Amino acid sequence: MRKELKEYPFDWMIWRTFVAAARMKAGSEKEYSQAVKQLPYFRGILDTIYGIGEPGQLFIEMVAEYFEKIIFARKRGQKTAITTFCFSPAVFYALDIVPITLELVTVAMGATYKRGTADFLDYCNEVGFTETSCSSQRGTLGAYLAGNGVTIDMVVCDSPGVCDTNVNAFAFASAYLDKPFFQLNMPPDLTGARSTEYHRADYRALIAFLEEQIGRKLDTEKLREILTEVRKQDILMAELEELQILVPNPLPVTFNLLIYAGRFLFAGMPQCTRLLESLLKIGRENARQNQSGLSSGKERLRGFFCYIDHYGQDLRLWHLLDQMEISYHGNILSKMWSQDAYYAKALDRLEDAYNIDTTDLDTLIDSIADLNSRMPMIKSIRGPYDAPHMWLQDTLALAKLHRADFIVYNGTPGCRNTWGMVKPFARDTEKNGFPTLILYSDAFDMRVESWETTASRIEEFLKVRRLRP
Amino acid sequence: MIDAFHESSTTLFNRHVRNWKTDGGKVVGYTCSYVPDEIFHAASILPYRLRGVGAREMNIADAYFGPFICSLPKCLLQLAGEGKYHFLDGAVVTPGCDSMRRLDDCWRKAGEDRAEALPSFFFHYAVPHKTADYSLKWFIEETRRLQAAVEKHFNVTITDYQLYDSIGIYNEGRLLLSRLDALRCAPDVAISGADALAVVLASTTIPRKSFNSLLMDLIAQIEAGSDRISGRKRLMLVGSANDDVELVRLIEGDEAVVVADNLCFGARFYADLVEQDGDPVAALAKRYLYHNDCPRMFGDYKGRLSILKEKIERAAVDGVILQNIRFCDLHGSENGIFERDLEAAGIPCMRIEREYGPLVETGRIRMRIDAFLERLEK
Repeated sequence: MRKELKEYPFDWMIWRTFVAAARMKAGSEKEYSQAVKQLPYFRGILDTIYGIGEPGQLFIEMVAEYFEKIIFARKRGQKTAITTFCFSPAVFYALDIVPITLELVTVAMGATYKRGTADFLDYCNEVGFTETSCSSQRGTLGAYLAGNGVTIDMVVCDSPGVCDTNVNAFAFASAYLDKPFFQLNMPPDLTGARSTEYHRADYRALIAFLEEQIGRKLDTEKLREILTEVRKQDILMAELEELQILVPNPLPVTFNLLIYAGRFLFAGMPQCTRLLESLLKIGRENARQNQSGLSSGKERLRGFFCYIDHYGQDLRLWHLLDQMEISYHGNILSKMWSQDAYYAKALDRLEDAYNIDTTDLDTLIDSIADLNSRMPMIKSIRGPYDAPHMWLQDTLALAKLHRADFIVYNGTPGCRNTWGMVKPFARDTEKNGFPTLILYSDAFDMRVESWETTASRIEEFLKVRRLRP
Repeated sequence: MIDAFHESSTTLFNRHVRNWKTDGGKVVGYTCSYVPDEIFHAASILPYRLRGVGAREMNIADAYFGPFICSLPKCLLQLAGEGKYHFLDGAVVTPGCDSMRRLDDCWRKAGEDRAEALPSFFFHYAVPHKTADYSLKWFIEETRRLQAAVEKHFNVTITDYQLYDSIGIYNEGRLLLSRLDALRCAPDVAISGADALAVVLASTTIPRKSFNSLLMDLIAQIEAGSDRISGRKRLMLVGSANDDVELVRLIEGDEAVVVADNLCFGARFYADLVEQDGDPVAALAKRYLYHNDCPRMFGDYKGRLSILKEKIERAAVDGVILQNIRFCDLHGSENGIFERDLEAAGIPCMRIEREYGPLVETGRIRMRIDAFLERLEK
């Protein structure tokens, strides 16, 4: 790893970056435009996020706050847990543990630094982690393995049974750093008494593990408060998602990213609720005026991303879509499968969804266990792709509901579970009438395929399939 | 005598399987050492561990699998697509790892395009990734589900008595394999690593009673004989699934002998017995879930390290070869930490990444082994 990278703790650097970014709009517009000129590698993301107004400001403040909590956890007597995006952080907040979600930190750095997380990605390989592993965890993990961040107290994940390369990063971290490890293990079926019982027994074991780590019991009232807030967020998200279905889609392209990022950062916390309320205000206003959320105000195409987005430097994916007048209709990350969700009701798939019952501690734990088992990827990548409740069924139903013109698969080469069957999956989506593009880029590492190449593949696909002149 | 084992280890449709089929027997293939052979044996079905040996192309496999996938399940699908597994009456796929888990999806899809590629009995056997009490409960239920599916499809009844009998026969085989292991680990090595692997591979295809009898004869022959291997560097082979005798032969060359392993086509396959009292299904589930430790059981690194250290000491190993098939992140990453911790304990290690299948990189591997052996001489 380059020496200069060890000058400052990497998480501290990202925190300061976002603190500075959060102040960019504190002055006049002229001051902002002058300041932005000094930030060639950060400019696009600032323009993109600030371009949507109040929620953009809230989002950047929220990211800064997330890192602030990480940096000062120890000073505040809190424990830290490295975890994954598909694990709901609500339980950590209920237990006053500070989550460090590797993939979110990777995106924060990858999107704002010219070299992305390349040095940390490579550092993982230097200490024995395979180069073929998923870049989403590696990007941040390398920094922690190098001791270039805050102290980690425990490792918690929930991807066994869903994604080997995901959980393997956490198992490696636990073994390498010699930290306590807990995994939630997912059976291949989502529904049915056997799976539900397993999810709930496993989640109770998780709570026992967390209580042991922090030396105190879970506070029922605190969990109730957090899950009540989650429910509130579910209702807000449901309305946002319902708006997305309108033609034209009144939500700007970046809204989807902000919705799921907000939820991954602060599920059950007021920070996320404020962001969602702010997004909804704009969405409702655009819908009232029957106006597209795209910058041009004109919706030419509707795109559905069946897996994840591309988080390369400066968030250029969203810029490209906006420029091509393609409205964005979500991906696997934005679907939490609450019973409040519009799609769960519209598709008559309430069986797939979780319900929050705050009656007593048992119902609260069952609810959060069910919620966690419906997290993005955890829900639909666990079983055979064409089984009920799984990826193909969800993708086709959502793409139809959103009246998508095409589907894009984008992931990372480390994603063994989807690369294992994305070809037959795409054949099935094509058979169902959706032109489908499989991208070979890496959502977190632009050294695998440059953004320019990725963009040209998207453009070529739209042209060849006669979706766009 | 050893030739009989080699023949069975290198030929998919070997003499024993041919005879079994000629006699009207059924054969069910499975992908991973977490599948209890005894369930099939008790139903008078030949359990057969699936392998990709002999695959020369990937045109069929590449039509279903993406590019970033381990070559073992790809070779297996390729062979199934080519009709090389025509003798299978069934197949069981487990989530041993993500690449292998997706063999379930890809094989079924290949079966839609080429009906002959897919056996009529096809079962996804969900093995948990942890050993909590509720995971064992799940696995017992899953094993009962497998038993019921076998009974229904093949129109047989599997009684507890039959299961006890099968457990006894398989335990006997495990004890014999452990005896062979002891001969291999001894100061005067009585069997090469390549031959020992051939024996283990044969055990995955030959009807177990016949195998036990053959192995008993082999052990008696070895014990009575005086041929011993000495003066070579003693190596241990660890990591991804290896069913290629030629790879071990390449590693051994003229200067080394593989005296120990911790592989699923190796010690992990026969270590530990199934308890022979109580509920036989529960006993099977317990043995296969608890005693088959590979990195798919996330979070148990320390347990696996201690198994390795114990074996290294027992077999007086001079150096450890940590290998993984490309895209096998589970073994590849764990090998990285094994290397750190074993080297710190004074045990020389070498990591190799390789492809499964025909040895197309013999020169590269040979050169690295030579360099490693030079290091061991210093």
